[in-house]
Amino acid sequence: MVAPYAFRLAFQSVLREKWINLLSTLTIATGLLIITFAVFSVYNIDAATKKLPEKFSIMLYLDDNLPGQELENVINTLRKDSAVETVRYISRDDALKELKGTLKDANYVLEGLGENPLPDSIELKLKKEAVGPETAKRLATDAKKIKGVNEVEYGEKFLSSIYSIKVGMKVIVLTLIIATSAGIIFVCYSTVKILFYRRTDEIETYKLLGATRGFVRAPFIIEGALIGTAGGLLSLIGIISFYYMVLLKLTLTIPLFKAILFPTNIFLLLPVTGLFLGITGAVIALGRLRF
Amino acid sequence: MIYFHNVSKHYDNQTALRNINFSIEKGEMVFITGPSGSGKTTLLKLIYLAEKPDEGDISIAGWEINKLRESSIPALRRNIGVVFQDYRLLGNRNVFENVSIALRIRGVNDKEVKTRVLDSLKTVNLRQRADSYPKALSGGEQQRVVIARAIVAEPTVVLADEPTGNLDPDTASGIIRLFKEINLKGITIIVATHNRELFRNTGKRVIRLDSGNLIGEEVG
Repeated sequence: MVAPYAFRLAFQSVLREKWINLLSTLTIATGLLIITFAVFSVYNIDAATKKLPEKFSIMLYLDDNLPGQELENVINTLRKDSAVETVRYISRDDALKELKGTLKDANYVLEGLGENPLPDSIELKLKKEAVGPETAKRLATDAKKIKGVNEVEYGEKFLSSIYSIKVGMKVIVLTLIIATSAGIIFVCYSTVKILFYRRTDEIETYKLLGATRGFVRAPFIIEGALIGTAGGLLSLIGIISFYYMVLLKLTLTIPLFKAILFPTNIFLLLPVTGLFLGITGAVIALGRLRF
Repeated sequence: MIYFHNVSKHYDNQTALRNINFSIEKGEMVFITGPSGSGKTTLLKLIYLAEKPDEGDISIAGWEINKLRESSIPALRRNIGVVFQDYRLLGNRNVFENVSIALRIRGVNDKEVKTRVLDSLKTVNLRQRADSYPKALSGGEQQRVVIARAIVAEPTVVLADEPTGNLDPDTASGIIRLFKEINLKGITIIVATHNRELFRNTGKRVIRLDSGNLIGEEVG
């Protein structure tokens, strides 16, 4: 029966101290919104780079007129590498056909060429988990040493840049999340501490009448949870408004924005995140108070 | 019920109580008297554990204060109803809510809270003021609200610290009459007062304090 009364006290305090609670809620909502945008960015960068392994390949250009036995040898050596998913041989004639197919209407640029200038080649696709600057570089170096391989080509700089951006963004966002979460916890901590000091007489009376620490603490923890959850709900409303009022409208004018993903299921966790941070702040505040 | 054995209490270099020995039986009504600064409030505070003795042993309703753990203090306090000198009423709660606090901390359900609070307010003749806030009450009414809060949970002991301090003589004698009625229900009552008129001709035991010493006992 103490629990419903603790909720009643917490709600009464929320209403009685409405301005400080409102200010804290708005601060928490802003913090959570910053975290939300950070997560939103990383989620989209991650989704974009997830498709990279399917498209990434290493091209090996072979010596002219490589005997069949040596070609077999090159292919077998490459297949033995654990990072390799597929090895596709592309003859110079097939390569020219593919090029013509790619150029389509612009294939007149090839008309001036007398002989097919393209070499025989091998396209290497890496296993999904192996795609990365280090593996690609190692594989390219090893492949170059194989007899019959003239030149190796892959988007080294592009791959490195993408991975650097991805790792960099993750570090920045993680730092931002940790710092902002700590900020939100501090806001809840300070709010609960202020509310506690404003009610010291009341708490002293409770104690003298025989209240346990649990009875005194419970309303403050509930209040922390309430402002945290309210902050989470506000930030959820904020991000949904951003989606409908900004992102969807931009999609209509700039089709590129269609590629942006909106992870609703992640954002629905915002009130729960607020609840958790609110309780954490309140528990820390009450733990540090002597009463 | 309550035993004090060689109890002393000091504040910095001042002695508030020195070698106090007395006992109070269950169901007794006792007055503690003496001039201001004689140690009456300190003695009550030792009973409801707002203070701890520096020397000596105290036993309350079978609880040995010196052996009591911090976590057990609330349980002991729930056996005691206190009428504080400064009332300690919550200004933002009405009379009903102020009285109900004593039951809320004991986890009593809403229905029972309502019945018992209204009964308690009836005892102190304040049922009609249940919705009023402390600021709207006179000194005597506030005092009666505090008494209602002290008795609502049916404690084994009620302590009253200068319960008539700011009241006119008629209201003061009304409060003492109320304590006597409560005492008839078997609740032990200890009233600390400097006002000798309160216990004159009551037939109750009076413990006299002066400068922290117990200087004698008499019957009022």
